[in-house]
Amino acid sequence: MKLGIKILPRPEVLDSQGRTVLNSLKESGFKLNECKVGKYVVIETEHSNLEAAKKEIQRMADYVLYNPLIETYEVEQL
Amino acid sequence: MAQLIEKFKKYRLNQKEYEKICELLGREPHGVEWGLFSALWSEHCSYKSSKIHLKKFYNKNSRVIVSEGENSGVIDLGQGERISFKMESHNHPSFIEPYQGAATGVGGILRDIFTMGARPIMLSNYLCFGDLDAPRMKSLVQGVVAGISGYGNCVGVPNVTGFTDFHSSYNKNILVNAFALGVLYPGEELALSKAQGTGNDVVYVGAKTGRDGIHGASMASESFDDKSASQKPTVQIGDPFFEKCLIESCLEVIRSGKVVAIQDMGAAGLISSSFEMASKGAVGLELHLDQVPLRDGSLTPEDILLSESQERMLLVCEPKNFEYIQGVFNKWGLEATRIGKVLDQKNMRLMWHGELLSDIDPDLLVENAPRYDRPYKKYSPQNRNQIQLEIFDVKETLEDIMTCDFGSSKKWIYDQYDQRVGSQTARDCSQSIGVVRLEKSKRALGLALGCRPYLMRLDARIGALDAIYHPSLQLASKGFKALAVTDCLNFGNPENEKIMTEFVTSVESISEACEKLDAPVISGNVSFYNETLSQNITSTPATGVVGLRESIENIPLENFCKERSSVYIVYQHEIETGGALEQLYKNKISATAGDLTHTDQFIETIREVSRFALSTRVVGKFGLLYAATLMSSDTLELHMTEKVDFLNTNQDLFTERLYEVLFEVERSQGFENELQKRNIKFQKLGSVQKISHGTKLLKQKYLNSFEEKV
Amino acid sequence: MSKKIGIVRFLGTNCDRDIEQAVTEMGRKVDYLWFRDTFNISEYDALVLPGGFSYGDYLRTGALSARAPVMASVREAAEKGMPILGICNGFQILCESGLLPGVLVRNQGLKFKDEWVQISIQTSATPWTSQYKVQEKIKVPIAHGEGCFYADRETVMRIREQDQVWCTYDVNPNGSIYDIAGILNEKKNVAGLMPHPERAFYNWMGSSDGRRFFQWLS
Repeated sequence: MKLGIKILPRPEVLDSQGRTVLNSLKESGFKLNECKVGKYVVIETEHSNLEAAKKEIQRMADYVLYNPLIETYEVEQL
Repeated sequence: MAQLIEKFKKYRLNQKEYEKICELLGREPHGVEWGLFSALWSEHCSYKSSKIHLKKFYNKNSRVIVSEGENSGVIDLGQGERISFKMESHNHPSFIEPYQGAATGVGGILRDIFTMGARPIMLSNYLCFGDLDAPRMKSLVQGVVAGISGYGNCVGVPNVTGFTDFHSSYNKNILVNAFALGVLYPGEELALSKAQGTGNDVVYVGAKTGRDGIHGASMASESFDDKSASQKPTVQIGDPFFEKCLIESCLEVIRSGKVVAIQDMGAAGLISSSFEMASKGAVGLELHLDQVPLRDGSLTPEDILLSESQERMLLVCEPKNFEYIQGVFNKWGLEATRIGKVLDQKNMRLMWHGELLSDIDPDLLVENAPRYDRPYKKYSPQNRNQIQLEIFDVKETLEDIMTCDFGSSKKWIYDQYDQRVGSQTARDCSQSIGVVRLEKSKRALGLALGCRPYLMRLDARIGALDAIYHPSLQLASKGFKALAVTDCLNFGNPENEKIMTEFVTSVESISEACEKLDAPVISGNVSFYNETLSQNITSTPATGVVGLRESIENIPLENFCKERSSVYIVYQHEIETGGALEQLYKNKISATAGDLTHTDQFIETIREVSRFALSTRVVGKFGLLYAATLMSSDTLELHMTEKVDFLNTNQDLFTERLYEVLFEVERSQGFENELQKRNIKFQKLGSVQKISHGTKLLKQKYLNSFEEKV
Repeated sequence: MSKKIGIVRFLGTNCDRDIEQAVTEMGRKVDYLWFRDTFNISEYDALVLPGGFSYGDYLRTGALSARAPVMASVREAAEKGMPILGICNGFQILCESGLLPGVLVRNQGLKFKDEWVQISIQTSATPWTSQYKVQEKIKVPIAHGEGCFYADRETVMRIREQDQVWCTYDVNPNGSIYDIAGILNEKKNVAGLMPHPERAFYNWMGSSDGRRFFQWLS
């Protein structure tokens, strides 16, 4: 089973990358209100049960994939 | 009463301080005033435990332009060139989130420098980690180094030297001290933080205010969980790209002469910057907190005052110049916002959507902050006696120290730092001092960091004197005269008498050495409460000593460079210690009795005779053999052939004697004559010859062993 | 030759003054060209895109800069055959803008690396290397986190055949394909390299081997 993990900066934490991309796009004439830049990780596991797979991914996320001080994540099935 | 105790806890004030506040105000504090007193009377902002001692520092001579009351000190180098430099701690944030903690430490110290109108041209850092095997330690090392690298490289200021130590006393409290130095070239005016001119605009520039670091200190004592995370104070995030734009725009507006006063928003953010600007200028400010640009609309006035969001500045300008200033910031992609006015009466009026939240004399908070004379004793030197080193196998011992955490090359660390951006670097982190060229006068500016914690563990007085003498000697061996000093005093709990005694001794000893060398302390920072679970760190008064040399050419090298040239040891032995080597083997350090009373003359002589040298090195930790091995080049090494009085046993090769310097010399006669004339002792050790295979291999291990461990 | 040398400045460029130092040392005047503006290319003899961290290297290194208004003029100059040199971040921007083939990705060691390297000059077909012998070995420093040159097989074959690889590392520091340190466009007037010749300009820097990159300007 393949799952995707979307990692984004916590809403209250400054997203310096997002801010820069936002300003640059605005300056080029694009209209937008917000821009966040994160990471996307795709993982294929042995699990066939979605719940079990999600649990496993959560363990990986807690172990290394994200930093809870500055990031949040969501897991989705692909 | 219970409510009051709750408030004391939240705002980290005590009963006595509360009584003093009531007395000063003539009433109880209300609303945001609690936050004001909490922030400005904190140890961090008020220096309440250290101020009475810091006043003792030797801090003035004819070169000194600023040495107190500003963001950073400034000295005059002549020829219209002035430099500003300072060192500051970011220990606690780096322990919580090493990457951002170290990065924002670099950002903060840079702002202290360019706020003065000086363009930053040198960075450095003094790092103390715990044992590499201690929990989290490897990731702390990796995170801190990556943070310094990520920030410093991007802002484009070269990192030219550093110091790294590993000892168990830092297992739960690492030290991350960042140093920055900036220069003002002829015609460039110094900027100050004194607010002036009734009716002038108070302008907020740089990043928007977010929740970063509000009540930051409480973060350490609580654990994070998912549910409460959104209400927790948040990690301060640094943005080096934003800072680079802030440097350029601030220097541009300062150079235009249209800035009356400027101050960086550092610790305790808007509160401390605005109150200090007002207090120094003996004026008042009216601030409209609702005009402050926010990243998060839910912030309360108290949050706005306390936020430690990074990359923000406060400046004062005449209203007619606001548009110009705003234009410059916009050009660099930043915003400038009017948030208030300078008042003629000395009052801080804090407004929120037209409502007056507080109206208070800034001096009540800044000038009337508590001063504590914490108990301490007269320092008595530690027991000192014969050195108990036993060395059975010289080769094996040498390999041990060349590959241990503290003795091996820190190449893995400094390779991650841009050491050459700016194209003025003459000596980088691989050398014993950092050197950059002053672009206009073409002179050389040298930097060496001081404080060797193992000497502090031996004896606080000797350790603190050495924190000045050792770097000054390193500078002198390359022909630099020490001009001025900055310090970053990292200590444990000041309410502990032993710690306070070491603190007072350190301040007095540093001051004594600075006065002897006529190198005043022009800036600094105190970091107390470096303790975890009542274990205090080694008292660590880190220093940065800056020196000047008239020419950038022919600075003595670090490695042997000419086959068959002679190698000398020049010395003035006052104390002998097993020092670093004993730390490596058994963690108990011995030393002979003695003081460092004549070191200043020795340093001056070394500087004078450095002109004869092809290469030089100060013999430091681990003694002579280690220093000589480090001096070997890819092709050359020292062959010791001469009989030397004080080198009889294996131990003697590893004993550290304060102080000794190795010289590689071609014109021996002139060199010897000069030393004899000055009555300084020296002996010839041997000559420079082709390197052996064994030494080559050893140097390879020296360069690689740290990377393998971390 | 008496026109000025243009130094292109983006937000976050940090080696601009370094290039000014090298160029003025050769007796030439410089103009800073601001990223928001286009410029009149007839006023310049050559352009340099200096190193730095334009836009903080956010999104992809060089990506945001490559889309700045000033690049329209740079492109025009490139088409007219003007010598253009991109160093480090400047090289990355030239690749992102398509003026040079390929892309620079994260160093194989995943870390920023500042060190002295030895490079070999592979062609003197550009003014910047006209003062070197082919296969001459010189000592210059690198300082980058994303300097690993990558391109698809076909492109790499083509640029190697067409003599577009103008300098290579003797010991590869970052995993660059075929040890590539710098490449040229087909016409050989646009040049990019990761090492910093301006930081090996005077002997006191540790090497002055890079000085000759700028010698043709004098």
